Amino acid sequence: MTNAAAPDLRQRRKKINGQKVLLIVTFSVIPLFLLALFTYVPFFRMIRFSFYNMSYTKNKGFVGLDNYVKIFTREEYVSAMLLSLYYMAGAAIQLSLALFFATLLTSGLKGSGLFKGIMFFPFLVNGIAIGYMFKFFFTRGFVLDTVLQSLGISLESLPYWLRDQSVNNWSLVFTSVWKYCGQNMVLFVGAIASIDPTLYEAATIDGANKWQQFKAIILPGIKTVFMLNLILSITGSLSAFEPAYVVGSMGANGTATFFIKIHQMAHVHNKVGMACAMAMVLMILILVFTVAQRLFFRYVMKDSENTFNGKANRAKALW
Amino acid sequence: MKKILSLVLALCLTLGMASFAAAEEALPTFDQLVYGENADITASILFAYHRTDIPEKLNGYVDEFRKTYPNVTIEYDLITDYAENALNRVKTADWTIMGIPAVDKDELSGFFVPLGATDVLSEKYAFMDAWNFDGVTYGMPSTGNAQGIVYNKAVFAKAGVTEIPKTPDEFIAALKAIKANTDAIPLYTNYAANWTMGAWDAYIGGSATGDANYMNNVLLHKANPFSDNGDGTGPYAVYKILYDAVKEGLIEEDYTTTDWEGCKGMINNGQIGCMVLGSWAFTQMRDAGEHGDDIGYMSFPITVNGKQYASAGADYSFGVNVKATYEQKLASLYYIKFLTEQSGFAYSEGGLPIDKTGEYPALYEAFNGIEFVADAPAAEGEEALFNELNAESELAINAGGNTKIQKIIEHAFNGDKEFDDIMAEWNEAWTAAQEALNVEIR
Amino acid sequence: MTTHAAGNRGLTQNRRAVARKTLLRILAYVSLLLACFIALLPLWSAFTVSFKTAEEYSSTNAMTLPQNWMNLENYAQVWRGNQPSQSLLRAFATSGLVVVIVVTVSVMMGSMLGYVLNRFRFPGNGLIRNLFLIATLIPGIAMQVSTYQIMTDLKMVNTLWGYMILMSGTDVISIYIFLQFFENLDVALDESAVLEGCTYFGAFFRILLPLTVPAIVTVAVLKGVGVYNEYYNANLYLNSGKYYTVSTALYSFSGPYKSQYNIICAGVLLTLLPPLIVFLVFQKQVYAGLASGSVKG
Repeated sequence: MTNAAAPDLRQRRKKINGQKVLLIVTFSVIPLFLLALFTYVPFFRMIRFSFYNMSYTKNKGFVGLDNYVKIFTREEYVSAMLLSLYYMAGAAIQLSLALFFATLLTSGLKGSGLFKGIMFFPFLVNGIAIGYMFKFFFTRGFVLDTVLQSLGISLESLPYWLRDQSVNNWSLVFTSVWKYCGQNMVLFVGAIASIDPTLYEAATIDGANKWQQFKAIILPGIKTVFMLNLILSITGSLSAFEPAYVVGSMGANGTATFFIKIHQMAHVHNKVGMACAMAMVLMILILVFTVAQRLFFRYVMKDSENTFNGKANRAKALW
Repeated sequence: MKKILSLVLALCLTLGMASFAAAEEALPTFDQLVYGENADITASILFAYHRTDIPEKLNGYVDEFRKTYPNVTIEYDLITDYAENALNRVKTADWTIMGIPAVDKDELSGFFVPLGATDVLSEKYAFMDAWNFDGVTYGMPSTGNAQGIVYNKAVFAKAGVTEIPKTPDEFIAALKAIKANTDAIPLYTNYAANWTMGAWDAYIGGSATGDANYMNNVLLHKANPFSDNGDGTGPYAVYKILYDAVKEGLIEEDYTTTDWEGCKGMINNGQIGCMVLGSWAFTQMRDAGEHGDDIGYMSFPITVNGKQYASAGADYSFGVNVKATYEQKLASLYYIKFLTEQSGFAYSEGGLPIDKTGEYPALYEAFNGIEFVADAPAAEGEEALFNELNAESELAINAGGNTKIQKIIEHAFNGDKEFDDIMAEWNEAWTAAQEALNVEIR
Repeated sequence: MTTHAAGNRGLTQNRRAVARKTLLRILAYVSLLLACFIALLPLWSAFTVSFKTAEEYSSTNAMTLPQNWMNLENYAQVWRGNQPSQSLLRAFATSGLVVVIVVTVSVMMGSMLGYVLNRFRFPGNGLIRNLFLIATLIPGIAMQVSTYQIMTDLKMVNTLWGYMILMSGTDVISIYIFLQFFENLDVALDESAVLEGCTYFGAFFRILLPLTVPAIVTVAVLKGVGVYNEYYNANLYLNSGKYYTVSTALYSFSGPYKSQYNIICAGVLLTLLPPLIVFLVFQKQVYAGLASGSVKG
């Protein structure tokens, strides 16, 4: 009986192993192919192209670091890069607001779900629709001006939100804060909700007030998510595109972000090599910020990783 | 086995014959084409075009055409950001006819069906060198445009401007008079529409210099072309008009929210004095309201040695996809023939006639005594040079360089850069591009 | 006596604390209401203006309420479109098709890869994980130029299938969500099935996949909304009017309607409806998906 079963089992195991290989191959070949096609091939091509002077149809030769030198020596590109500082400032405001409201929403107020839903919804709105709504919103004498006038501010004392270069980038940053604040907030709410409630009880017994509780319990508990939000906002700031493209008429009037410059370089001026070099710079900037954040995270806030909820820890281990 | 072999052989032969036959059935050249022949041809055509404002009118032409060619169906695909979109799309097979975007001339034969020899076609049609390469023409202009200024005669009269301005100074004075004496916006820039800005480039050739060779030849080899000529001519003078008008507050208040469709009605009812747009704009402004009679068209206010000129050039030209089927190509040619010779499209759009026997619309009355100058094509071997210089310098002159013109307005409005400094920058970019491409300076 | 005094003091302290708490609560509500006001104001103004006639639009203030709330003329106009490419009806059909296919492909790929990576140890497992991890560090948006060239080479520009393949490409977040989900599914479930003679394929499709429905819903909702709202690639790769998605059709309004916000906003409102409905139905999954998607860093 056992003698007969042994080869059978071996055969079966062999079959199972063959099946395993087949399964691994069939299940991963397409995702890997697409990963290569749309991430790694373009990535390496981008690196190569950035050293060439070329258009989509013609390659005019190797130029070494010329493209990179141009980016940093031409005021136009540097100022486009500096534009992302507006968006980073916006991101800072956005994160503070998101954290503030997340704290409020987790403190047991009535109607939290509704508030949360309303503040989150802008995140789901189509970028083009946002563009139109805010163009309407900011146009002279339209929505925003009407609201401000009803507060007793005269129209004459208000700027032209989209024309005046002293404010127009702030107007665009506002649209981005409007869209993403709710999303950041929801992430914070999730993190705060996962903090062990007994910690609050203990703190209350110890006589800690709300602010102390926030500092001692909430803040450490959401460090991970906070950092993630921060990095998402910063990469978002560096590659900001939609507000300036739609509300700012394709980056006119000093609102062209670095990403819009890349787009124009490639699709208006047909300078693919130059555009790739700019994309490389953008990517390196993003990488620098990501790595800096991670290092900061690892060495300065070592403890937070242990206190953060298990899910994220597992997630880290997984990767 | 033998059977199979012979079958394969036979198949090959028939296939070979078929392809041979198709190759032999060459397309007629555009001048040989007789409208009305081959009326039973069956094809469906996808026509990519930029006139989003007149879908009904275009479909009217299709209906008219189908009376002669009932088996041909034509669908217009009207695109908002046409220039950029078409440049992406031209490489695909997903169109049959399109308005030719800014491709390099040496690439024309890879995208478009040749229409015939340029010199032969030129006997009958105008602007045949707009899209030609090696003596072959690939595009039939939809209409021709003169570069001038569309204006409201009533506003100018009310402002006390009786003589049409002929120099930049007279023009700025006229705008000031409009500001002082009427409620109208003297000059509406259409800043936010983007493409209306790049349109200023079309004036720096013939209109500003009187030289047909300026745009495609002189400019390429000229040292510092954006410098002040000192006599109110040349590219400098053209862009200076815009800068000065903005600086003097002679444009709309909030240029970032200008409204292209809205401006048509505004100039029609006298809320706008004038706009710098090609003659194609005339009919649109005239038809946008009840005061069509007030709309006039005048030449650009630059006088070269006592004489005024107007650049004349082709509007978007129709090209047929070289990847289309034979039937599609032939049917497309018939439709283009119809548009050019039968439909009256050029005339009703206020354009210069393409068919040389055609008549000029009334708006050109004001152009009496003004010489039309059609930009001559680039010299042989330099067909792609202008595009390359444009790309290298990033000025994109006459090729979608909207941003640089918008910047003129911004700098003038914010007062943060003098006009001469802007021109100096352009000169610098142009010179660097000329050096990078080893262009000989003449 | 002393105890009484102490009790009294405690009472006033208590009262003060209650008063402060109420004040804080009021402040909290006020700030929340203000935030909601700001969140809703642009939407509200778009909503009201969409009911105005052209004449009403040009003669009244932007914030004046419409005279006739039943004026659906603008909606009818954008629904039909003044030419086929601008018909939102057609754009909804196109976007619907794209969303369904891309979401299906993403769910299939994400779940399959998640299953393989989680359940099997094989040489290359770590490499694949790392390849996907590194991919998250490369901003896709920066590579649009070279991606565009690849799309051109493969003749995928201006084809619906090409766009759909691009959009279903490597979606690390959905793979991640599935990985995480399988992590929490007992291995015994599929192991026992396999030992009982079921194939690995069968175990995956018949036993595991039905159990991952919550993850599927999360991925579908996030990916679906993302694809539905996608503009940049749709604009770049779908040039022909017949392939306009909701985003590109909406953008094309800026040509003929330019500043006629009464018509444009009708279009804006219509395009908001699908995400709104999805959000109302799947609120929980949206929040949860967002959280698990973001811890990928």
